[in-house]
Amino acid sequence: MNNCEWREKISLYVDGELEPAAEQAVAAHQQSCANCSAAMLELQELKKSVRVAGKRFTAPPELYSSVRKQVAPKANTGRLWQWSTLAASLVLLVALALMLYSRPRAASATVAQLIDQHVTMLASLNPVDVISNDTHNVKPWYQGRLPFSFELPELAKDSPFTLLGGRVVYAEHAAGAEVVYQVRQHKISVFVFQARDVHGEPNAGGQNFVVNSWQQNGLQFYVVTDAAKENTERLRTLLEEANHSK
Amino acid sequence: MAATVIARGNVSGVENKDFEKLAVPLLDGLYNFACWLSGDADEARDLVQETFVKSLKGFSSFREGTNFRAWMFRILRNTFLTSRTGLERRSTQQEDELGFDQTVVTQETPEVALIRRANTELVQSAIARLAPTFQEVILLADVEEMKYQEVAETLDIPIGTVMSRLARARKQVREHIVVALGEKRIVGAK
Repeated sequence: MNNCEWREKISLYVDGELEPAAEQAVAAHQQSCANCSAAMLELQELKKSVRVAGKRFTAPPELYSSVRKQVAPKANTGRLWQWSTLAASLVLLVALALMLYSRPRAASATVAQLIDQHVTMLASLNPVDVISNDTHNVKPWYQGRLPFSFELPELAKDSPFTLLGGRVVYAEHAAGAEVVYQVRQHKISVFVFQARDVHGEPNAGGQNFVVNSWQQNGLQFYVVTDAAKENTERLRTLLEEANHSK
Repeated sequence: MAATVIARGNVSGVENKDFEKLAVPLLDGLYNFACWLSGDADEARDLVQETFVKSLKGFSSFREGTNFRAWMFRILRNTFLTSRTGLERRSTQQEDELGFDQTVVTQETPEVALIRRANTELVQSAIARLAPTFQEVILLADVEEMKYQEVAETLDIPIGTVMSRLARARKQVREHIVVALGEKRIVGAK
């Protein structure tokens, strides 16, 4: 049994319940404590699994319609106005149904999963499976591991980014690449999947993370980090240029 | 989802419109919670509708500084607890407060690997097996992503109880996964 005094703070850390100073202290501690790091990783994985599995039921469209009818302000003007309100409500309902049941919903779930992957990587003692700052080592490592290929940018000597390595990840039942970069003290995850009918949400995010995503050459890219937004834009530009001629 | 705290100034002559704007985005989460609580889609629909009716009626007396999402979920839960299913469930539910048990493991990866392998159905069955008091806490904290304070307000319990129930709930979910997949692995090896 691990009796590390920090252990009781792990749930609080994973649940985002600590003050910033305590949060930083726990984050620093888990870098040097294998048991706490493992415990944190497990709790994050469990939390993620429960979040995905727990969202089991979706309200049917007729419930939306009936609730809206209940709560909508009562119209008290003429018949024409009532008809136009009805027409507007129908348009709104259709738009709402489309919004709820189409791409953004799927994209949000994907983005949430990728943020979790990024956080898991940050907490792990072995964040990458191929450790190299050389593009020519990292890119070939994915051959045979993924059913697609992609390009990584050649980083200039004065580039603020350092390549740390990569690993294979799974999201929405699909295998993809997570390539990890560092800018100053911040890590950036670049996720690459085969593009499906799901688009990301550029500059979306959650839990203080920035998510920048785009599609290019049949691939879906996501950049996830807690670094400044301009860094994601710069890295995105480099990746877009590297994959431009692919 | 961030907690919404309403200032009294928001409650005015156009309160129906304000209410609609605040409440409708919560519908999916409320319906999901109602389905888990009641185990029945029709009952969940009725619960959600009743929740909206009650909360709309009470919106004009909404207290300043109160968390709107916690308020809505609390109305739904109270509505459920006074329903026939809720009363039946309350009479059979077990309180199992064993203090704040840190549920995380002592060693690396076998459990982590098993949790990663757990499919959605397995995790759902683990959640479904939880006692109601644990189930509602894990749903609010991990699915609705409420802060401890918000969960405490929704369930009207102290934060310490939220923490202990959440820890116990996670421990039981984890154990269910590990046992289920562990057994599968042993059977597969035979």
